[in-house]
Amino acid sequence: MPRMRSLLLTAAALLALTAPLAAQSDYPNRPVRLIIPFPPGGSNDVVGRMVATHLGEKLGKQMVVDNRGGAGGTVGTELVFNAPPDGYTLGVVSIAHAVNPWLYKLPYDPRKLAPVGLMATGTNVLVIHPSLPVRSVKELIALAKQKPGELQYASAGIGSFQHLGTELFKLEAGVNILHVPFRGGGPSMNDVLGGHTKIMMSSLVQTTPHIKSGRLIALATGGKKRSPILPDVPTVAEAGVPTYEALNWWGIVAPAGTPQAIIDKVNTALSQVQELPEVQKQFDLQGASVQKMTAADFGKFVLAEMSRWERVVKEAGITAQ
Amino acid sequence: MDLFNNLIFGFGVAFSLQNLMYCMIGVSVGTLIGVLPGIGPLATIAMLLPLTFNVAPVGALIMLAGIYYGAQYGGSTTAILVNLPGETSAVVTCIDGHQMARQGRAGPALAIAAIGSFIAGTFGTLLIAVAGPPLAEMALKFGAPEYFSLMLMGLVAAAVLAQGDMIKSLAMVAMGLLLGIVGTDVNTGVQRFSFGITELSDGIGFIVVAVGVFAVGEIVANLGDPAERRFFTDKVKGLMPTWVDFKASIGPIIRGTAIGSFFGVLPGTGPAIASFSSYMVEKKIAKDPSRFGKGAIEGVAGPESANNADAQCKFIPMLTLGLPASGVMALMLGALTIQGIQPGPEVMTSRPELFWGLIASMWIGNALLVVLNLPMIGLWVKLLKVPYRLLFPAIMAFSAIGIYSVNNSSFEIYLTAIFGVIGFIWIKLGCSPAPMLLGFVLGPMMEEHLRRAMLMSKGNASVFFTRPISLGFIIATIAILAIIVLPAVRSRRSEIAG
Repeated sequence: MPRMRSLLLTAAALLALTAPLAAQSDYPNRPVRLIIPFPPGGSNDVVGRMVATHLGEKLGKQMVVDNRGGAGGTVGTELVFNAPPDGYTLGVVSIAHAVNPWLYKLPYDPRKLAPVGLMATGTNVLVIHPSLPVRSVKELIALAKQKPGELQYASAGIGSFQHLGTELFKLEAGVNILHVPFRGGGPSMNDVLGGHTKIMMSSLVQTTPHIKSGRLIALATGGKKRSPILPDVPTVAEAGVPTYEALNWWGIVAPAGTPQAIIDKVNTALSQVQELPEVQKQFDLQGASVQKMTAADFGKFVLAEMSRWERVVKEAGITAQ
Repeated sequence: MDLFNNLIFGFGVAFSLQNLMYCMIGVSVGTLIGVLPGIGPLATIAMLLPLTFNVAPVGALIMLAGIYYGAQYGGSTTAILVNLPGETSAVVTCIDGHQMARQGRAGPALAIAAIGSFIAGTFGTLLIAVAGPPLAEMALKFGAPEYFSLMLMGLVAAAVLAQGDMIKSLAMVAMGLLLGIVGTDVNTGVQRFSFGITELSDGIGFIVVAVGVFAVGEIVANLGDPAERRFFTDKVKGLMPTWVDFKASIGPIIRGTAIGSFFGVLPGTGPAIASFSSYMVEKKIAKDPSRFGKGAIEGVAGPESANNADAQCKFIPMLTLGLPASGVMALMLGALTIQGIQPGPEVMTSRPELFWGLIASMWIGNALLVVLNLPMIGLWVKLLKVPYRLLFPAIMAFSAIGIYSVNNSSFEIYLTAIFGVIGFIWIKLGCSPAPMLLGFVLGPMMEEHLRRAMLMSKGNASVFFTRPISLGFIIATIAILAIIVLPAVRSRRSEIAG
């Protein structure tokens, strides 16, 4: 098996060496595979599929979505990493991509993946169950300082953005709140709605219905600016933790060595897709907003995110594996 | 009379030509993916979701819902015919359903499964309409301690599942618990028994174990035993259940429906628990429990009703609170969001056509499924006459395709093959795989809830006794233990006395 694989890899590499010359001008001349490193149904999948449909139209060839879930997104991203760098295999990455290097021993170097572009960013909301006797971030911090380690927050699991976003909050605010991990976003939300755990930081799309119905109270949002969906809710920075910023984001990467011309072509097509009103509307409904970036800027963005979460993982002492 | 008017209104919506068509498409696709192992409603709905963007919200939801509960019907077909669980929830149906097929009673088994599912689906639909919101509120009261106590009760009751040798059954439960541990620990993120294999870091898939042990193991065992090879004999005795069958099934159907509805309302329980519980109840109250595992129709009627009621009631938290009880429900919420509808309690009042239209369509869909499935039985049973040298490779191929489609991973096919070998060894040793699967399902959930409860209570075990719902389950657990242990003690006493 390994021999077969290495033979194939060599063949692929040889092809890759000769192919770009011919391929760049007529790229794409066959369907492009977009690997989504999570199973169907999650935010990565929704965002990725939405973009894939339109991106395929703009590029003139179908874009085939390939869900390869497992191990916090590392299984699928490894596939992208090992794919021939001909532009016919692209991958979706998210905030997990910037967190995984510090949680897992990765079989690939995430910094070596070629950045293609940012698709969108999403806002997180810090919510509490109404039975918790606080109504602002300052009151929450005061209560947490009064009872260190006694308040509890729910997350979708170790290393999830709900977990890291709250850990960042704890670091910046200097408080100790107990982490209660769950198996996924749904179960954790159920628990907070039942008032068993009382604090959670989660996505806009997951929390908004419950904020509107009064079952949860929004204390703050995690971005730099207020969210247009919850205009009355301050940002965490406004509400008393000025250094806080944590966003969800989704972007596209390619295997290292993918020709720049192809990357630019996909990036241009992506920014055209981002301008489509229906795409913007769909993102709005997901509590996310499109954000354009050149491939180079996206590369810098990913590196900045990696160092942000490296600090949180190390200072908060988060371990997996 | 509000309910009545609402239902009439709902049927008006659901009976429009367009919505009937969506319902039809949904349940047909659902039946199809239900028959195939592995590929389930979750992946199907995720893939079809973009197609629904341009459909009216009611139609989209009706179709997606149809796929979901249609799959519950389809899942039992292959379980009964060839011991291949098409869906997670159909695993229990394999135990007695397939034995019935081997006795030439595949027709009655399939028919009772469809009829039981219809009755359960009807009841589940009615329950959503009548008591949806209060039930959803009740479900919210379930935190980690409640779930743990509930599952403890389930595991103790599982002793009933034991067939023959108690030691073997306990060993199989322990085996299931161990297999269930594989993967990343939720509380610490530590990998357990994954041996550095990335594919194992998310644990072993239920469908991998079920297909390996039931379908593959069975086939290998059959090939090894020349006398058994023609097991799908021509001794087919009638396609429809007899009056005796009906009389034996009606109780299990009613109880299965009740059990399934209970578990359906609770978001933290997987699809297999309802059918397992129903099976255990039927076996416990049967006059002659030894018939179970040898083709008892009650063992098909109860669990099949339970899993359909469970599937139907999973809509309650979703529709009334906007809470996803399972991955499929999360996708449906996503579908609503994409349509510009904010899921949550207001949907019932702000979009009544959606709520009541969907409920009415579920009833229509369940009726359609019976109409679709009953005439198909003759065809399915004919399939059994296909010679084994064609049928067995076909089953293996479909299993492989289905398993691959879950994660697009060939590793899981190899894993299924390994479980096939293990399943074969178990058959030879006379170890029944049902207790193993129950341990596999319940074990990890119990552990998760136990540790979460202890984490939240700072290590104080009294939470299980001070919270009323949890205490209720603990008391019930003790009662079940007493029921199991006391007869044994009494009989021993009388032995001594005699």
